[in-house]
Amino acid sequence: MSILNINNLSVEYIGDKSSTEALKNISIDVDKNQIVGIVGESGSGKSTLIKSVMRILSAPGLITSGEVIFENKDILKMSDEEIFDIRWKGISLVKQKALNSLNPVSKIGYQMSLPFRYHMGLSKAEAEQKARDLLELVNIDLIHFDSYPHELSGGMRQRVIIGMAMALQPKLIIMDEPTTALDVITEHEIIDSIRGLQKKLNFSIIFITHDLNLLLQFADKVCVLYDGELVDFGSVDEIKLGGKHKYTKKLLDSMPKINLLDKKINETNNNETKIISLENINVKYQLGSWLSPEILHAVNDVSIDLYKGKITSIIGESGSGKSTIAKVITGLEDLESGNILHFDGKEFLDIEHNLAFRKKVQMIFQDPFSALNPIHSVLHHFERPLLRFGMCSKNEIKSKTLELLEMVELNPAEEFLYKFPHEMSGGECQRVCIARALCSNPDLIIADEPTSMLDVSIRSDILNLFIKLKEEFNLSILLITHDIASASICSQDIIVLKKGKIVESGSCENIIEIPKHDYTKNLISASMDDWFKNNSKEK
Amino acid sequence: MNNIINFFISLTNNFKAKVGLYILFIFIITSIFAPLIIGSPSDYVGVPLQAPSTEFWFGTNGQGQDVFAQTLHGAQKTLFIAFLSGFLVVLVGAFLGGVAGYFGSRLDDVISLLINVFLLLPGLPLMVILAAWLPPGPLTIIVVLVFTGWAWHARVLRSQVMVFSNQDFVLASKVCGESSFRIIMIEILPRMLPLIASSFIGATIYGIGAQVGLEFLGLGDISQVTWGTNLYWATNDLALLTGSWWTYVPTGVSIALVSLSLTLINFGIDELANPRLISERHLSNKLDGEFDRNSVTPVRMKNNVNT
Repeated sequence: MSILNINNLSVEYIGDKSSTEALKNISIDVDKNQIVGIVGESGSGKSTLIKSVMRILSAPGLITSGEVIFENKDILKMSDEEIFDIRWKGISLVKQKALNSLNPVSKIGYQMSLPFRYHMGLSKAEAEQKARDLLELVNIDLIHFDSYPHELSGGMRQRVIIGMAMALQPKLIIMDEPTTALDVITEHEIIDSIRGLQKKLNFSIIFITHDLNLLLQFADKVCVLYDGELVDFGSVDEIKLGGKHKYTKKLLDSMPKINLLDKKINETNNNETKIISLENINVKYQLGSWLSPEILHAVNDVSIDLYKGKITSIIGESGSGKSTIAKVITGLEDLESGNILHFDGKEFLDIEHNLAFRKKVQMIFQDPFSALNPIHSVLHHFERPLLRFGMCSKNEIKSKTLELLEMVELNPAEEFLYKFPHEMSGGECQRVCIARALCSNPDLIIADEPTSMLDVSIRSDILNLFIKLKEEFNLSILLITHDIASASICSQDIIVLKKGKIVESGSCENIIEIPKHDYTKNLISASMDDWFKNNSKEK
Repeated sequence: MNNIINFFISLTNNFKAKVGLYILFIFIITSIFAPLIIGSPSDYVGVPLQAPSTEFWFGTNGQGQDVFAQTLHGAQKTLFIAFLSGFLVVLVGAFLGGVAGYFGSRLDDVISLLINVFLLLPGLPLMVILAAWLPPGPLTIIVVLVFTGWAWHARVLRSQVMVFSNQDFVLASKVCGESSFRIIMIEILPRMLPLIASSFIGATIYGIGAQVGLEFLGLGDISQVTWGTNLYWATNDLALLTGSWWTYVPTGVSIALVSLSLTLINFGIDELANPRLISERHLSNKLDGEFDRNSVTPVRMKNNVNT
């Protein structure tokens, strides 16, 4: 018995003269008590799809065909009032970036009781009692009833949001990338509790994500969207076998998995020259107001050695201080105490963030779109560092840039010279950023989560590019990531960081095969395929 | 530079901005060439308080001077002072706001304090007192306008620079060893062009109003011919009592038209900076104006698909 039927839904974005088809004849049906996963890369129309179902798509979106049948009524034919009746009570939505969906200035309990008061007309006391029940349901201690959102961790806030979505016992909950901002371990716990609740309360879920691996572990059916078209729709088992469309296959192949056998990296590097050495580094941030300062110890007594021609990975969840380490090395952040030594060919010297040092150490940032200035062309982004570091004369800039662009496999390079960042895809932008970092012919490149903002299908390409650059130029790379799988593919040394402290470090094989610390073990098991089979609480 | 040219080209593509630019263009051209076509506005050319006629298009004022010549000549000085003060206000605001937002910490504390003090000072009384105290003349008006007007723009630009100065493209420039000055001037400020342009226009509109107000109160140099002094002399000559509307209406309409044109240009900039407004307009056109932004997503079936 299906609860939601989407038939031939098409959506257009209306422009001045021409329109873009964002969704082309999508048909999906969701059965009772089923989890349907929708997967696709950014721009594939995932969010457009669910926004059209809820009819909250804002201008210039226009629904041009199809029907959305929810409980025998067509949502597309409803008036405003009828739709307001369905939202929350019939279908509720957990939005992307739910961490920001809570009002920072009112208490958790108050926010949770609001739907009861507005939609069911309960009194304040009754609504608060309902909210308490809800908190218990999503496994949050009742102490937090009077807490403010910032006092809760990311995972707890996400649970609160999911709890609110279940407040009026809707028959269908749509979740738009609910776990993207969380680290792997929390992500798995959240999904586990969603599944538990779903079994208990009997509702259907549409789960949207870009992580196909995750979906295959707990969904019943999977839809694959590509460029506004539904290219694959089938049960998990069908998709696992490769699906019908070649894009599905590509998605399946591109997921980084912990795999030491396929490692492409050359291990014959015996010449161990240290190039940078961090000794007992401490970084503290002052938070809070000046009346009640709070000190956050972002990096706590960390020592790291980086060797010539080696890829070293730092792994940790958000807030573990991994980006701070990158910023300390490049001088974008100040040290509280400790030393950074830099080998200049003869001896170790204290680091000075002058031009000569910057030439040797370059950095790649997380979000390629914000790391390139949208008002400047690609050529401009190369012109400055090339001139500044004295790599070539003014006349040679163009040829040198072409050479760099070819190095990062942007072909044909001429076409990219005068492009602006918004005319390129995320992967292309990130390649431009990598090429820019290569401008000065550096010894060390620090890559701060270079793949986390990119679509999965291009992640492994970027990682392979790093391996290629390392082999060709004997580059050292410090790869900062939250994903132990990508680290295991391309690095030789791994450092695991938690709350600003190193919990474990060593060679890649040692860490993956015989992890000593519990946190590392958790990380590794969370990125294995069979996590839910082994760890689910219901069993 | 390309950026600025592109900005103007896209501005001229916008209907509201286009109308505004036309009006402004006409005023600027006539005020530049007025002295070449018409004689001096201070000449006593006829009987005082003549109604508009073919000889004197806008009539004559209480001293027997040509109101048409006075309106055109007045435009020259008034617009010059307004645009110059608008430019200086934004320049000072962008400089102090940019420095405060980019460097942060102590420097930001000091500049923010200064901004807050200037925001708290009551603008109008301060303006009147300063204008009365300094020697009258165009320079005084400009100094007074900049002194009382920069703080608001500094505040707005500061918060925008603050947002950008933590973004990756600025960090990337730092890693490339760029100087702070270059990062602010080449990387950050051009990205804020719509905001700066609309600050400039806002400051200019304020400049016209405040300037005319001060001169109307007699705090400008009354021997000069500007829109403000035109109004000053009109009241002095008891224009309302004598019913000689032509001595003040042309100036008033001119002020209104110039302000309108600048506001229209500002609307255009607003749409450029906020693409959502454009997309709402396109959708509204497509739906024959039946679009309501507070309503649910509209549905318009294409017949050929559904059959």
